[in-house]
Amino acid sequence: MVNLNKVLPRNGRDYYLALGLEGSANKLGVGIIKHPLLPKHADSDLSHHCELEILANIRDTYVTPPGEGFLPRDTARHHRNWAVRLVRKALQEAGIDHPSELDTICFTKGPGMGAPLHSVVVMARTLSLLWDVPLVGVNHCVGHIEMGREITKAENPVVLYVSGGNTQVIAYSENRYRIFGETLDIAIGNCLDRFARTLKIPNEPSPGYNIEQLALKCTNKDYLVELPYTVKGMDLSMSGILGYVDSLSKDLFNHNTKNKLLFDPKTGEQLVTVSDLCYSLQENLFAMLVEITERAMAHVNSNQVLIVGGVGCNVRLQEMMASMCRDRSNGQVHATDERFCIDNGVMIAQAGLLQYRMGNAVQDLADTVVTQKFRTDEVYVAWRE
Amino acid sequence: MKSVRDTQLPHILHLEVPFETASQAQTAVKVLNPDPILKPQDFHVRYSANGPKLCLDFESVDDRVLRVGVSSVIESVKTILETIDEFT
Repeated sequence: MVNLNKVLPRNGRDYYLALGLEGSANKLGVGIIKHPLLPKHADSDLSHHCELEILANIRDTYVTPPGEGFLPRDTARHHRNWAVRLVRKALQEAGIDHPSELDTICFTKGPGMGAPLHSVVVMARTLSLLWDVPLVGVNHCVGHIEMGREITKAENPVVLYVSGGNTQVIAYSENRYRIFGETLDIAIGNCLDRFARTLKIPNEPSPGYNIEQLALKCTNKDYLVELPYTVKGMDLSMSGILGYVDSLSKDLFNHNTKNKLLFDPKTGEQLVTVSDLCYSLQENLFAMLVEITERAMAHVNSNQVLIVGGVGCNVRLQEMMASMCRDRSNGQVHATDERFCIDNGVMIAQAGLLQYRMGNAVQDLADTVVTQKFRTDEVYVAWRE
Repeated sequence: MKSVRDTQLPHILHLEVPFETASQAQTAVKVLNPDPILKPQDFHVRYSANGPKLCLDFESVDDRVLRVGVSSVIESVKTILETIDEFT
């Protein structure tokens, strides 16, 4: 059994307040949450039933023109420009007049892009010193997992974490979120985003969203363009698929009729559209994800899947995962919507507040250095049994 | 504080940033101190507070590295100043 009430709320209150700051990629998120102090949390395994109340959840995204990605330096500048204003706005929304009431300030420690992470932690440290509120450094992936568990109430799911920077299949065991499978090269969201860049379509609002929209227009769903299927044991590789589908789309744009996959060799008639390519790419990538997720479920004997991360908003991915789960005994898929799937401050506050309640706040500012590489299984999960 | 070094790098710069109070300058030092310098053999920086003034001492192997390093520290100082301005 776990005691989540080890550290009591400030000033004898019967609730906790946490501020979460997220800025590991192109999204800057500020969230404020509240947990009631409940006797049942003193001796239980209820870290997914905190009765979370969201007081503020705001986000500002650094948007680049279609065809361009976001660079660390420019993203950091965006975060620096907006961070203080977003915190001010979040405090107003949450109705907090005295920020020193906060129990903790949670920030993303990693993984992510170094410069944007750093720009946020500088503000987090300053706020902590100004208001005399302890800091908690949060692993971004654990933030996604805890947010998903609290929203969907999934008790012990296999977690598929799919975003612009990460692709992992995770399951909990003995105080760690253990990685069962992951990408060997690029993340799925990165693969989709870079293909979107080739197609000169924007990457807003989440990785792969516009590819998903184009794929819906595919009229020839029975015919898949054959792409490499690169599952390596429990892991995946996606850079080869991206290179291949990029070259196909270039042939398509240049009207290279020599490509027999795309054009009829005799008549020169175009056989495949951009929508067809998007559809085939999605089907191929998601099938790979479903395969390794199913294998992880068999390993840990679980029948629940929780999909988190920006690509987790993709309805087609959720459908495919649901159909796999239906075929297994009575399985369920849990997914959240864009408010929580896409990077946000609330998820950092949620994971950070759990850590704080277990007595795990930063004692020395030297421990607040952000890191680009921070694996999910490095975090000791004290708040679960 | 960083350990005392026997070799000094050739390019140096001293900056002073005035804050409103001594404790604000102390805060800035505490916020800046934890972050490691990526190439300690090429670039050093020392943060200290002298009353309400934040003192920055840079040393570097060449002027280009100095310029890049100084501008990145100044960006952080700007964030600290804005945060203090907004919430004090």
